[in-house]
Amino acid sequence: MQIKSIIIACLLLSAGSVNAQKFITKTGHIRFYSDAPLEKIEAHNHQVNSALDLSTGGFVFKVLLKSFEFEKALMQEHFNENYVESDKYPTATFLGKVTNFKDLDIAKDGVYDVTVEGKLTLHGVTRPVNEKGTIEVKQGKLHGKARFNLVLADYKISIPGAVGNNISKTIEISVDINLDKANM
Amino acid sequence: MKIYSLKLVFILLIIKVIENYIHMKTWIKVVIGLFVAGLLAAFLGYTFIYNKQHPDYENAEAAFTMTAVDLYQAFKNNAANASAQYNGQVITLAGKLSKIETADSLVIAVFVFNQGDFGDEGIRCTMMKKFNDEANRLQPDGEIIVKGYCTGFNETDVILEKCSLINQ
Repeated sequence: MQIKSIIIACLLLSAGSVNAQKFITKTGHIRFYSDAPLEKIEAHNHQVNSALDLSTGGFVFKVLLKSFEFEKALMQEHFNENYVESDKYPTATFLGKVTNFKDLDIAKDGVYDVTVEGKLTLHGVTRPVNEKGTIEVKQGKLHGKARFNLVLADYKISIPGAVGNNISKTIEISVDINLDKANM
Repeated sequence: MKIYSLKLVFILLIIKVIENYIHMKTWIKVVIGLFVAGLLAAFLGYTFIYNKQHPDYENAEAAFTMTAVDLYQAFKNNAANASAQYNGQVITLAGKLSKIETADSLVIAVFVFNQGDFGDEGIRCTMMKKFNDEANRLQPDGEIIVKGYCTGFNETDVILEKCSLINQ
């Protein structure tokens, strides 16, 4: 509930700055990839909500965990029921900012290196995140990309010993979002 | 013809194996029996547990049948209750289509009920690939019936995945 109100507050704050340079998508793509000795597991989510406010650098994204699609039904079941417990914690949220947002020039096409800093909430655990990525400006649109690793134990996600060789303890997360200017 | 004779050879072989089996000593029978049972269990486990198919959402029976606006309002009024009730369920929705959105290979039927910081808010139904063409031909403002798997509410929209269209 607290997180919810923070998000709402942030959204309200960013909406407050009139003519905000706000870019949004509802079809961002997040992929996660686990490379363990016995098995490679990958899952995709194509309905990621994300917003970037270029006047403040404020950056959020939000995913529904049940929307992650796996090749094998069994893995999807285990992911939802045993690991992220999506009935109890239906979403994962990132709330933070692009720290060097002032370097981004929306009028100038090109690929910009960015640093993203904030808090990631997953499985009821909130942790600071500081990662690098790129934002490509192309004809007034933004294409954000980032790849980072996430240690499952940090988010109190435990992998039972029996499948310890099937699931990696560190998961690679790739984020790929196309942001369009919001029509406000 | 060739396939037929192959089948015949195979059947004869099996009969021979069974004949031999009958004349074996009991302990060998037990060992072989256990071995075969183990193989069978491994095969069944692999096929039906490890490799089990994703649910057939197109033909699944819907747990709830309702109007799109009712589902949206349920999440909007009390997200926690609605999540407990509808997340992970197959739901059939009827309503007036607002628009069809495409993103990469996705086709999404959207019911819009509200405006917020993320623009339109409502219900977003991602089509199964086989319904992409049919969904792309839908006209905004037309009444549609769509069935899909509800994955929850992300503060702006209710998301349905693996959606199929039901012809009225």
